[in-house]
Amino acid sequence: MRHPIVAGLTGLVLAAAAAACSGGSSSGSGTSTITLWHGYTDAEAKAITSLAQKWNGEHPKQQVHLIFNGGNDGALQKTLASFVSGKTPNIGYEYGSSITTLAQRHQTQDLTSLVNSTAGFNWNDFFPAERQATTVNGKIYGVPALVDNLALVYNKKLFDAKHIPYPTANWTWDDFRNAARKLADPAAKKYGWSFTNDGTEDTVWRYLALLWQAGGDLLSPDGHKSAFDSPAGLQAMQLLHDMAVTDKSVYLDTGDQQYQQLFNSGRIGMLWTGPWDLGSFDQVQYGVQFLPGKVTHATISGPDNYMLFGAGGKKQPAWAFLQWLVSPQVHLEFATATGDLPIRQSETKLPGYSAFLAKYPGNKVFMDNLTTNATKARPNIPQYPKISQVLGVAVQSVLLGKAQPQAALDSARDQIDQILAGA
Amino acid sequence: MAVLTAERRNERHARAPRRARSADHIAGWAFTSPAVLLIFLFGLVPVLWTFWLSVQDTDLTSPGTFVGSAKYRQMIHDPLFWRSARESLLYTVLFVPITLVLALPIAVLLNQRVRGMLIYRMAVYVPLVTSTVATGVIFSYLLNEQVGPVNGVLSKLGLPEGGFFQDPGQALFSVVGMTVWGWLGFAVIIYLAALQNVPPELLEAAALDGCTRFRAFLKVELPLLFPATSFLLVWLTINGLQLFDEVYVTTKGGPLHATTVLVYYLYDQALVNFDGGYAAAIGVAVFLVILLVTLVQLRIGRRMSYESEASR
Amino acid sequence: MSAVARRRRRPSPLHLILIPLSLVMVSPLVWMVSLSVSTQAEARRFPPGLPSGIHWHNYVDATTQGPFGTWLANSAIVSITCVLGNVVLCSLAGYAFARIRFAGSRVLFIGVLATLMVPFQIVMLPMLIMVRSVGLTDTLGALIVPNLATPLGVFLFRQFFLALPRELEEAARIDGATRLRTLRSVLMPLMGPTIATVTVLTFLNSWNDFLWPLVAVQSPGNMTVQLGLQNFQSGHTTNWPVLMAGTVISQVPVLVLFVLAQRFFVRSVAQSGIK
Repeated sequence: MRHPIVAGLTGLVLAAAAAACSGGSSSGSGTSTITLWHGYTDAEAKAITSLAQKWNGEHPKQQVHLIFNGGNDGALQKTLASFVSGKTPNIGYEYGSSITTLAQRHQTQDLTSLVNSTAGFNWNDFFPAERQATTVNGKIYGVPALVDNLALVYNKKLFDAKHIPYPTANWTWDDFRNAARKLADPAAKKYGWSFTNDGTEDTVWRYLALLWQAGGDLLSPDGHKSAFDSPAGLQAMQLLHDMAVTDKSVYLDTGDQQYQQLFNSGRIGMLWTGPWDLGSFDQVQYGVQFLPGKVTHATISGPDNYMLFGAGGKKQPAWAFLQWLVSPQVHLEFATATGDLPIRQSETKLPGYSAFLAKYPGNKVFMDNLTTNATKARPNIPQYPKISQVLGVAVQSVLLGKAQPQAALDSARDQIDQILAGA
Repeated sequence: MAVLTAERRNERHARAPRRARSADHIAGWAFTSPAVLLIFLFGLVPVLWTFWLSVQDTDLTSPGTFVGSAKYRQMIHDPLFWRSARESLLYTVLFVPITLVLALPIAVLLNQRVRGMLIYRMAVYVPLVTSTVATGVIFSYLLNEQVGPVNGVLSKLGLPEGGFFQDPGQALFSVVGMTVWGWLGFAVIIYLAALQNVPPELLEAAALDGCTRFRAFLKVELPLLFPATSFLLVWLTINGLQLFDEVYVTTKGGPLHATTVLVYYLYDQALVNFDGGYAAAIGVAVFLVILLVTLVQLRIGRRMSYESEASR
Repeated sequence: MSAVARRRRRPSPLHLILIPLSLVMVSPLVWMVSLSVSTQAEARRFPPGLPSGIHWHNYVDATTQGPFGTWLANSAIVSITCVLGNVVLCSLAGYAFARIRFAGSRVLFIGVLATLMVPFQIVMLPMLIMVRSVGLTDTLGALIVPNLATPLGVFLFRQFFLALPRELEEAARIDGATRLRTLRSVLMPLMGPTIATVTVLTFLNSWNDFLWPLVAVQSPGNMTVQLGLQNFQSGHTTNWPVLMAGTVISQVPVLVLFVLAQRFFVRSVAQSGIK
């Protein structure tokens, strides 16, 4: 559900409402049931349900019970609350950003030994960005559930109309800026690019991609100081300023995702978005390309994880199911049904992969992007939500023309250094 | 005749109130207990619990540790808290009077005998049944700075376009506009009912005395609307100072904290930063502010009712 | 002008104000309804336009995704019971607060209001503990009992009683009637608009309450309409047309109630005989 408090407080409420309601685990002679909490809807929900049914059919003594958690936005709070009420799910789908909070709780299972000791699990088959998102302080706490990344999605007809050559894999920031300027016509309510400007992580992660493209980093290697207030960070901010304030070629989305309608109606030329949006663009002949680059064509990925909770007897059956769920053939089946990207490199070598690409032509570039350009990741530290808030405000202020890039960076740096010092 | 006698009786009343007898005390408690008991049982304990929570350091799911006034000290030194308090007060000071000032004339309008009045009343009532999500989406679209129709119309008329939700200087006012729109129906219903409750005899008497319609309104109906106004003043303030939903579905406290009102800041602390004790401290602050403002308003309301009765 | 012509009623000039006002108030609902009969593809266009045809299947989809009839029944049971409770219990309390001088009345009244002054987001948790301690978790009772009497009800009734002329009551008391009798036989019959208002507003609050039912109820069989609809619309891509269809359906009873309540709002200025 999109209601925010719903998400958060549902979970907290479970903390208060103890044993009154029965949980999901049944018993029967020798049958164990494991519960999996997820926020899947539509195609993804159908796909996972049919996979679970398949598993249950083949494993009558190890049943899996899927429970819709009311929406992934609240999954973290709901999970935390379940720790207190005692009705913890065995497996939970969690945002990658939740891992540091959850890793601190004793109910969250450390999977390092399981991962390393399970024959044929092939941990390195998962993409580096995913593995990074499962690891906190060197220990593995999750198994990749979803991976995505940002790529350049553009409207071919608009490019044709303005006689601009399609973006290439070698596009520079200047190419990108010029194209946006030519595509834009604010008086006619047409824009060259859309940037989500609601000050949340949706804003921040796009800036991080720019920062990395300029060769910069968010934090110092030891993670104790900010490193983004650098020439690279400034260049990234400056580009945003130039495009949004000087050129006025950018549509600033307020978070209501109006950009989807606008792109679909041919009023925005280019987006930086992920595979999840492609299904909404039924009116547009779109192309997908790497993001423009400066030092690199870095992109950013937002992987999510399946995590195991609660020790005891359920751990083995839960791991068995999870292992099966993320095995190459099974996941490729899921990906083909939903359009989600493969989470293992080996999936791209399976015979079914060409059918997957045929069904979702845009995903080829997303996959290449993932392997080639998703090299850096956001730090898995507890302070990240606060850091994100500070950066979000900084980026917003530059995009709205309320602050100069250097000033915004300096202010953000001071605040973030304070946050890091207070750790 | 009866009206004149009643007026004189009222004056006597206002001048020398009867001393309360024990039967009155019993009656008072008897009448109020059922409702009050239910309300206190489920309403008061949680309020007290919030006070308890505010002296702890807890993430709301693990047991907390007692920290005394640490959260309050943190609050006093937190510039964002003071910013959110300022935004909340600014918002309320605009939202409440504007709603009141618009609601009364509309209620009077809807009290006239005009054909199709039911349709008009329904129209004013409709915002109350429009979900917050839908309202947020619609206003976000209408007031969209770059592609919204309002700016489209403004520019066609040669007027300057507005930044609305995207402009830190205008965002809060845009939220005021959105919520006034949403609450007008409620205030109008209250005033309409109050107007309907005016005994026709009083208006007839005024007519007999030679009052014009307008003077009759001023002398008869307006004073009888004081309780309704007092109610709305308190009710709208309580709700105004607890603004949250509309901010969440439009601006998420932005841009640049321009719409971070107290309860939004509280939500942030509780469910993003997991600082339950701090959130509770903010909750206590909100409570105290509302309590203070309400007491003042009730006091004024009582004084005005007293005077209006005396002058009748 | 002849007498006949003078008597022919001309449309009131007030329409000139009422029509624009109504349009402003109604537009979002119009948009909601328009969206509810659109296809998803049409919902993804910009600028938003009228649908090509009326796609009723959204309404079918909204009602078949879960036990819709049960949800409607649950909402009805909860809301009607709460309204009855409020009208009875809060009228008593409101009358007492308005018209009886008794020790502690001010404190009690402030106390009642005080329960509203801590943001619900914090207060919900201990409320749930209270409900659990009386054994009502995940039942309709959890939705009804805490709302059988509400501060809104008490406050509304108090305010309307304050506006009643005292002499009505005095006359009855002098004739020997008890307070209760006076209340029931003399005052309440006069409060048609008041009762209608309290009914409509408490019904609206109860019917549209989302947050509390969400945390108090877990089983689909005990959900209210608002809760039930929400549970099936979430995620990255919201199916706006179906969501709007469900929302429209869920608001029909409230609108109907308002229309019915208008029968009590019949007194108008013209009846008082003043020109």
